[in-house]
Amino acid sequence: MEDNQNSAPGSVPSGKLGGARKTADPGQNAAKRLQTELMMLMTSPAPGVSAFPSADGNLLSWRATIEGPDDTPYAGLTFKLSFEFPSNYPYAAPTVLFTTPIYHPNVDFSGRICLDILKDKWTAAYNIQTVLLSLQSLLGEPNNASPLNGEAAELWDKDPTLFKTKVMDRHKDVEED
Amino acid sequence: MEPGDQQDDLVAQEAAARDYQPQLEGPLVGKKTPSTAITEEYAKADPIYVQKTMVLPQTYSHYRPVRGDGSCGWRAIGFGYFETLIKRGNRAQIEAERLRLESLNEFIENVGHIEPYVFQDMAEETFILLDRISDVIDNQESAMAELATAFNTTAVSDSIIYHFRLLASSWLKGHTDDYGAFITSDSGCEGYCRDTIERPNIEIDHLGITLLVNVLLKPVGFVLEIAYLDRSPGSEVNTFRFPEEANNQHPSDVGPIIHLLYRPDHYDLLYLADMDLQVHRVDSLSHNFRITEAPMAFHSFSAVGDLALMIPNFGSPPPGLAPSILDVAAASPLSYTPSPGSSWVSSPFTDPIQQAPPQTSTLPATVPVVTQPQAAQPRQQQQLHPLRFSEYCQLPKYVENDTWQEPTFQTSSFKNSHFNVAHYNNPNFQPEEYKPGQEEYEPPSLRNSIRKRSSV
Repeated sequence: MEDNQNSAPGSVPSGKLGGARKTADPGQNAAKRLQTELMMLMTSPAPGVSAFPSADGNLLSWRATIEGPDDTPYAGLTFKLSFEFPSNYPYAAPTVLFTTPIYHPNVDFSGRICLDILKDKWTAAYNIQTVLLSLQSLLGEPNNASPLNGEAAELWDKDPTLFKTKVMDRHKDVEED
Repeated sequence: MEPGDQQDDLVAQEAAARDYQPQLEGPLVGKKTPSTAITEEYAKADPIYVQKTMVLPQTYSHYRPVRGDGSCGWRAIGFGYFETLIKRGNRAQIEAERLRLESLNEFIENVGHIEPYVFQDMAEETFILLDRISDVIDNQESAMAELATAFNTTAVSDSIIYHFRLLASSWLKGHTDDYGAFITSDSGCEGYCRDTIERPNIEIDHLGITLLVNVLLKPVGFVLEIAYLDRSPGSEVNTFRFPEEANNQHPSDVGPIIHLLYRPDHYDLLYLADMDLQVHRVDSLSHNFRITEAPMAFHSFSAVGDLALMIPNFGSPPPGLAPSILDVAAASPLSYTPSPGSSWVSSPFTDPIQQAPPQTSTLPATVPVVTQPQAAQPRQQQQLHPLRFSEYCQLPKYVENDTWQEPTFQTSSFKNSHFNVAHYNNPNFQPEEYKPGQEEYEPPSLRNSIRKRSSV
């Protein structure tokens, strides 16, 4: 009955929740799934991306990094991101933000990202690693048809040199929070 | 306005759109409710809806509301699957189903190309529920309670539904020749699965239903019948069965039927007028009938698991056919009053003998089944149905139509004319003029029981 009791560090304590099912702690299934993903990230890491639960031990909150792909304006730069997972993950997408300032057509100045799989195209078959790899490819292939940063979308095609300058101006390393 | 303000406005608007959540009310899967609530819901709607929902309770005495969160079709079919297993009351069948679904894990992995870590936790919830139901299958009330708890626990419900979504998408990927022609989008079967079936909170469509029926219901012999409540011409809801070949067969020739009610963009569960009522009536009219014959027959048939095929109209959800239930009912038919939580028989129908107007006992023996919901209706309206019939509701049609019975308020000279003062005896009679300020009759129980549909 309590077959998945061995998870959910830091998640809401159960007990107050009505219902006969003792394992129905919100976020518990999410935490279990995230533990699995953590194992997978550690055993088979993908080049250029990494992710780890945040320092406070809350499995629903992660920090990640993406290295800018070669042959893009972001080559050589490293970007930090935050992942906040809903308690019904993987049945809803995580909220992903760039915490490193980035100049990109599909990222706004608060770090919010326009990417379909993080919105309505999410499915439970996606995971942290596939999201990071999608974001990494988004760096080299922005979707300029639906920009969050209109100027960047225009400059991407019109003036790659100015684009690159703006990328370098905007980029600064942030302290680990 | 400063450009900065505009930017802020835009940001705020985007944030509002991003964070928008539809207002969803009620449990994920609600309690079995008299379907007259649907009639009432549509009392002021388009005449076609009024007409169709007026006759709906005669066929389907009850319905079970399902929350309209985008997964209602998946949820309703899933619930119906487990509920039908419970009604069959056959532990061996449930264990066989568990084994069958377990063997489909490999199918999801190899044909559906879904990694085990994605679906194993989900499938596990399905198996846990099957195990729990199997453990208490001798007590159908407990089994239904397990089912209701599981389906109303978000994490469990989400998992089971997603497991079924993956079964359906794997079935499609494994039968692209059969279904590929139905997929109109450019992205093909893979894209359809990714964009439609595997996206949480995207409603099931016709192809999705076909897939789920073929992978989940058809192998165990269950049939899905959907009643479409829409504005198409006609006086009753149209019905369609999955799999398609079940459509032209008599209900007694197909397996147990799960009934759904479809309203544009939403599915609820439906239940045929309850067979238990007939059992009670027959029992009271001829005391020895069921004690001598029925339990024996039921025992022997249910042992081979083919009971539903043997008895006309019994292949559908309502009858509680477990021998144990029947035995209890046989021993003390009149004292058998299921608890309010029981979904088998709702409280208004627990004692049909007392409720049924006297005239029903003079009807031919076969009729009571059909007339029972109608017979009980006046009383029910009196209790919880402030619906008022005016000429604008096309009342004459229903009065003349023999499917609508309200015979006690007629006299030979005036018949059912609205001049007939006999109508004053009708508990539902209200003067034509209606002043909202004067008359505020709203039974609280009703207000709580009606599901307020969220507009999807």
